[in-house]
Amino acid sequence: MTRLPTTCVEIQERLLAVALDEPGATRGGVTDPVLEAHLQCCPRCRDEHARLRALETAVGAWRRLEPPAADLAGARARLDARLADLSRRTFTYHVVPSPLGNILIARSEHGVSLVEYLGRRRDPARSRLGRLAVEARPDGAELEALGRELLEYLAGRRTRLDWPLDLRLVRSAFHRAVLDATARIPYGAVISYAGLACEVGKPTGVRAVAQALRWNPLPIVVPCHRVIGSGGSLTGYAGNRTDLKERLLTTEGVRVVRVREDLRVLRQAMYVRTPSARFYCLPTCRWLARFPHPERLVLFGAREGAEAAGLRPCTECRPDLRPLPA
Amino acid sequence: MGLEPFETIVDAHHGEIYRYLLRMTARPSDADDLAQETFLRAYRAYRTLTPDANVRAWLFAIATNLARNHFRAERRRRAAHAGLHRAARAVDGAAPDGEALADEARARLDALVAALPLRQRAAFVLRKVHDLDYDTIGRSLGCSAETARAHVFQAVRKLRRGLAGLERPSQEPAP
Repeated sequence: MTRLPTTCVEIQERLLAVALDEPGATRGGVTDPVLEAHLQCCPRCRDEHARLRALETAVGAWRRLEPPAADLAGARARLDARLADLSRRTFTYHVVPSPLGNILIARSEHGVSLVEYLGRRRDPARSRLGRLAVEARPDGAELEALGRELLEYLAGRRTRLDWPLDLRLVRSAFHRAVLDATARIPYGAVISYAGLACEVGKPTGVRAVAQALRWNPLPIVVPCHRVIGSGGSLTGYAGNRTDLKERLLTTEGVRVVRVREDLRVLRQAMYVRTPSARFYCLPTCRWLARFPHPERLVLFGAREGAEAAGLRPCTECRPDLRPLPA
Repeated sequence: MGLEPFETIVDAHHGEIYRYLLRMTARPSDADDLAQETFLRAYRAYRTLTPDANVRAWLFAIATNLARNHFRAERRRRAAHAGLHRAARAVDGAAPDGEALADEARARLDALVAALPLRQRAAFVLRKVHDLDYDTIGRSLGCSAETARAHVFQAVRKLRRGLAGLERPSQEPAP
């Protein structure tokens, strides 16, 4: 193999460098006078230059080669369909440490889909989210704000969680109706399972209502803790965690007492409203004696709660003038 | 400032990622599959990106990794080559006289690029077709800008050798 003169080596390196550092294939001729002079007199470098130009010409033709528009449009349409499917199945989640233990908040692109008590666990693998056939990925940034609002709510500094909701995990139209009615129970109030069954037009479906609340994917946000037994017992919550229900109700101003092993709200120490009334009463109001369905009454732990729900004091028993003892 | 909506990323980059993968694989069906997979992976990881991330380099990196995995199945690689050679022959036969040289060069370049080692092929296509700078190519290939330039250098050397005989007559020296 013949060795190129030093100048030719340099020249060819320069030619190659120009080819490398020009992204496009637009270089037609040589503008460097030193290079040009050398190419005029050196056939070997001239050939090298011609080869590089041939490469650039080929690359130029290659760059202009476009895939058929139909192929590209088809590929995009297929991608869009798969992305839409994936986004429907993708949930982001965030675990918020709270006074009630770790709480998982998961959302889809449409809204919050799941709130779940994890207790001391932080890993959602064995949670309801982990059992769903969805793609779940942790996402602190987006859900942190919701986590902060939840903590404010649990501390009693906030009375509503106005989050966008995705109710896809609700199991049936009936469950949906029960949760809609539950969402209308005002802050600081409780209603019985029987009363809620009447609200959704199924007065005999008390157990079905309890089941719908058991599967509530959005506890706290859809306040199923405000639904209690007709006698005032807290009955169940998140399995057997009536202690969580007690804390939530206490935060909202509802007094809960322990009677032997049972946690109960003090019905006789609560303000009362009949389902359709625009006013609230003392539990001893004579007007209430005429109402035949005590299980359908809505009970408020405090006057402020009733008035925040837009109710006036009853003109007969005057709870505003003779409030219940604190 | 946060990340743009992912749809904006798809709108801005799907075309070039598809074209890149088409040049890497030489088969529309493979380019379609790999481009889809590129964006599905990107969608899953998108929210973990920092707002100042180089999204373009990141997408090319995902696409290059997928192309590499794709070619690990040697049988598919050979099939792709066979397809390329058939295409090259078809171009040879069908080209009109005036464009014969450019078409032949293009077809030969297709085959030569397909025969390059993957990193050289990727670096060459990213540089010469997609006009990426070496820093971005390095990010896409997981190497330094210098190494990326070295890959393009090696590719250019091999390709210019492979295209010998297609050069236009060089200028005669002045008497």
